[in-house]
Amino acid sequence: MSTKVRIKDISRRGDEVLCPIRPEDMVPLPPPYDDPEHEPAWKELSPETKERVVCNLDGFVALSLPKPKDEAQEQEYVESFRAGLKKLLEKNNNWTFLQPLLLSLDYCVNCQSCNDACPIFTASGGADIYRPTYRAEVLRRLIAKYAKPGGKVFARFTHGDIELNWSTITRLYELCYRCTLCRRCAQACPIGLDNGLLSRELRKLFSQELGWAPKELHDKGTVLQLEVGSSTGMNQVVVKDNIEFIDEDMADETGIEVHSSWDKEGAEVLLIHNAGEILSWPENPGAFAIILDAAGIDWTLSSEAVGYDGVNYGLFYDDVQLARVAVKHAEIASNLKVKKLVAGECGHQHKAMMTIADRILTGDLAVARESCMTLLEEIVFSGKIEFDPSKNDFPVTLHDPCNIVRNLGIVEPQRRILRYLCPQFREMTPHGVDNYCCGGGSGFAVMSPNNFADWRVSVAGRMKLKQILDAFADQPGPEVKKYLCAPCSNCKGQLRDLLQYYDVLEKSGITYGGLVELIVNAMVDVKEPFIKWEMH
Amino acid sequence: MSGFTLLVVSWVLLAIFVVAFVLRTVRIARLPVHLRWELAPVPHEKGRSKYGGSYLEQYEWWTKPREKDLFSELLYMLQEIVLLKSVWEHNRRLWWFSFPFHIGMYVLIAAGALLLVGGALEAAGVQTAALGDWQGGITALAGLGFAVGGVGALGLLVSRFADRRLREFTTPAALFNLLLLLAIFATGAYSLTVSQDFALRVWGFATALVTADPSIEIPGILAAHLFLTMLFLAYLPFSRMMHFVAKYFTYHEIRWDDEPLTAGGRLEREALQLLDQPVTWAAPHVKSDGKKNWIDIATEETKT
Repeated sequence: MSTKVRIKDISRRGDEVLCPIRPEDMVPLPPPYDDPEHEPAWKELSPETKERVVCNLDGFVALSLPKPKDEAQEQEYVESFRAGLKKLLEKNNNWTFLQPLLLSLDYCVNCQSCNDACPIFTASGGADIYRPTYRAEVLRRLIAKYAKPGGKVFARFTHGDIELNWSTITRLYELCYRCTLCRRCAQACPIGLDNGLLSRELRKLFSQELGWAPKELHDKGTVLQLEVGSSTGMNQVVVKDNIEFIDEDMADETGIEVHSSWDKEGAEVLLIHNAGEILSWPENPGAFAIILDAAGIDWTLSSEAVGYDGVNYGLFYDDVQLARVAVKHAEIASNLKVKKLVAGECGHQHKAMMTIADRILTGDLAVARESCMTLLEEIVFSGKIEFDPSKNDFPVTLHDPCNIVRNLGIVEPQRRILRYLCPQFREMTPHGVDNYCCGGGSGFAVMSPNNFADWRVSVAGRMKLKQILDAFADQPGPEVKKYLCAPCSNCKGQLRDLLQYYDVLEKSGITYGGLVELIVNAMVDVKEPFIKWEMH
Repeated sequence: MSGFTLLVVSWVLLAIFVVAFVLRTVRIARLPVHLRWELAPVPHEKGRSKYGGSYLEQYEWWTKPREKDLFSELLYMLQEIVLLKSVWEHNRRLWWFSFPFHIGMYVLIAAGALLLVGGALEAAGVQTAALGDWQGGITALAGLGFAVGGVGALGLLVSRFADRRLREFTTPAALFNLLLLLAIFATGAYSLTVSQDFALRVWGFATALVTADPSIEIPGILAAHLFLTMLFLAYLPFSRMMHFVAKYFTYHEIRWDDEPLTAGGRLEREALQLLDQPVTWAAPHVKSDGKKNWIDIATEETKT
């Protein structure tokens, strides 16, 4: 059992780690991963790191927040945080989520029904700080005491005690990056409150008021995307070169000529990929091109900055950056006069484009936006492409990206494709809108500073690995090759790390990839196997 | 406490209840429209809600008619409100006390409603002995409510200390709420056992509240029960127990609000007004100057 932690302990002054996480407390994995001896050791933080950055939560460091120079600087940040608390409650500054925020703050009866829904809390063996209610209750108490009139008089009775200081805000900063915003806890809440949202509101406060955000999401994420064109750092020239290379590679591999078109005005479809696919999984945009061409779709890519990268990390931490990226995507689609904008296999791109940004995309920006899942379903069942499902006759299971499934309710199109094209398709338990997050949600998949990758994989991804292994429990050995279909770029990044960390390809014969790869693999016109049984 | 004093105190407490209840509800209802934040399953999705699907599963969804299944939505709400389905599924230990606690209150509300209907029928001369005929049933119903609610409240109170998950999150206000309700259930049950005409006496008090009859006489334990009930009502809008109102908004205006923006529609008009507000967040990347609105901030050139 991990250390017992009370709400007010978060304010304990000093550099002490509040709740050390221990491997022996964690939920066991199925064989052959159940031997604690074979659990990869977590990276120790160097004395230099401990000296330089704040490390006072759980022994892991995701954010590398430098320690302050002196008490005056500490106090300056504390006051900024307090100002941010008040801005969260203001209509002009936070209309975007004011109603969900206030309801989640004001009406929680602390029944703890949401606790066991959280895969991180469960995987950790029940670490108090990972309860979905813990960080929410800290925020609730801070707002009651420091941001509402009469708080110092009434808050102790209505909410319980807490102290706002440097330790509180730094632990809270790190703690709001121990939630993947998967919103499984929100589904479990009898009152309909949303502790995931409260994690995001905290991230927003830190980013929009104090300027604190993970560099992977901000400096190397939205800022780079808005400045250069993509969070990968690719500019317009590089992305065109890369796609040209992918087209050639696909032609060599499949014998099918592929010509990705650029900036075609009036096209039926503007396809925007997560640009990470182009660099890390080029077979994915390649497979899209093969399918769309084979189906005779009039489609185009955009070479305009931001238009070739569908990521919108603002969704994870900052409304301003979210709006800036979303507006750019919509502007590009509007200027190209395409019939619709289609999101590639990227979950958070789906959510940002299709629903979250919906109420800021007014006038000409209100372009039609669709999921690639529905477009692919339409193509697969249109009869325009001939398939041979026996080419996919190996065990396949499906990972449901939270942002596509739980948050958008796009559940069945991808399943109908898999049931048709993959004779050995089987579900995980739980699945669909009850799925577990991969552990890389909310930006974690691209965050690996210090020892955070160990936490992200072995704690946040643990329940996902468990259910992947359980889904293939009838054929557990490496001699049977198995495919984990994950139609989301960020999820794939996390699953790659998860499978590599535990050596799952070698021990269990499981590899991973997207949905379009399975579709192309089943195409009669594609003579050679498209899926490679390797870790990539 | 004399009958008249109780009347005066009750008027004040009832007035606080009505005003605060309305104000708090209106305040929630008037909060600005927010970014979409729906969460599957959305039960009004016709033919799809069973597995959590939405209209976004349709190819070119914007060209298809929206089909809503309001019966499914109603059924979902009923299961939540009456059976506390989410608590049953996710917190079974607590459900064994939370369910009787809530059912007890529902039964008491039903008993109160029957009392009002019976009294009104009798006063209107529609059914001359309505209260006399119904009082046995109403009293029995109230007794059931006090007993079941009391068991639930006691169980919840004990859980707040015995269950480690709950203990750390228990505030003084949460204990006060449970103790207050437990006292209401206990005094109600006791006054019901010592008086054969409990329902008639409560009706007498209700009538006196309307007619301002200063001669009303109420036995001590019943007076205590009625005072505590009025106190509870006055306190309710200031407490988290208003979650039954909040729940309407969390479900209908957040979880299940999947209404897309349409050109020239209500949502677009409201969004444009909200986007016109000044942004004052202080982080450098926001580039706010206190005057720029959301549109300025979101559309200005961000390249350095």
